[in-house]
Amino acid sequence: MTMVSDEGFAKKVMQIAGSAAPCKASAYYDREGDCIEFLARNEEFYAERLDDLVTVYYSEATGEVIGSLVKGVSRFVKRHPNLAILVRAGHVRLSHLFLAGLLCEHPDRDKLQIVAYEKKQQVYRDLLDRAEETQAVAAMA
Amino acid sequence: MAFLLAISVEMPYPTCVGRWLFVRKMMDQEAETTRREYLAFEAVDPETGKNHRVQISYDRLHAVAERGKGFVFEAAYSLPHILLKPTAVFEGLCSEDDEDARGYGWRCYCGVPPCRYQANGEESEVPENRVFLAFVNTDWVVYNWRWEPTDSQKRNLPTDYQRRFRRSLI
Repeated sequence: MTMVSDEGFAKKVMQIAGSAAPCKASAYYDREGDCIEFLARNEEFYAERLDDLVTVYYSEATGEVIGSLVKGVSRFVKRHPNLAILVRAGHVRLSHLFLAGLLCEHPDRDKLQIVAYEKKQQVYRDLLDRAEETQAVAAMA
Repeated sequence: MAFLLAISVEMPYPTCVGRWLFVRKMMDQEAETTRREYLAFEAVDPETGKNHRVQISYDRLHAVAERGKGFVFEAAYSLPHILLKPTAVFEGLCSEDDEDARGYGWRCYCGVPPCRYQANGEESEVPENRVFLAFVNTDWVVYNWRWEPTDSQKRNLPTDYQRRFRRSLI
């Protein structure tokens, strides 16, 4: 481990990351957080929690869904053992994960909950579209 | 730099393609070693008020690099700012996002850094309804950071803060 000062940290980050060419989309599995962060476009965004699985990233400029943080991925797969088939050779396709997340949800009978569920479905649909457009895959190994 | 050293010594591959494959192999080996390592810097420990070492994986930083300048600047400047000078720190993210099965003890540092970086790296003013959050797990690993809408009453705290965290440390 390398210990650096506050200024040293900034320099080091710039050194590591500053010269890299930006990709259009990225999906990154973070072991420490057990989460997959997906960003379809290189844009400023803000985050809002959708449910226990997903926090959605909305474009600051357009309000469109442009990414997400999928939380507790390993736990989610453990809770639904059949979903283990989604992970192939340590890689998971984001569109599959979003679909699984939606299918594992059940709308409440309460009218308000159903409205919320329909909104949630729309957000999941947007996320699915973004994931399919970008063919996003995260390496979990 | 191990791969450069290896290149300057005798390479076992006589052809250009062979040399390229050799170089790539050495680069991959070095990248693999480096990415598993951590970069440590300081954050305030909300319980003691003193600074404490936090870590971030090189792997995470490489992932940030793929997103472009604005995100790199955010990691380089906004993140350490919030970790050293948070306006609030919450603990216990179990029932909310960014939780983990281990849950309790994970911390969320909140605050408003001096500026926000646009995607192209240019500085801009922080919108009044945005707050910057950084998440740290029990091993003091910083694993996520982002902007969120602010609470309608308290400008420097995120929406729904009363419900989503178990306790406030600062």
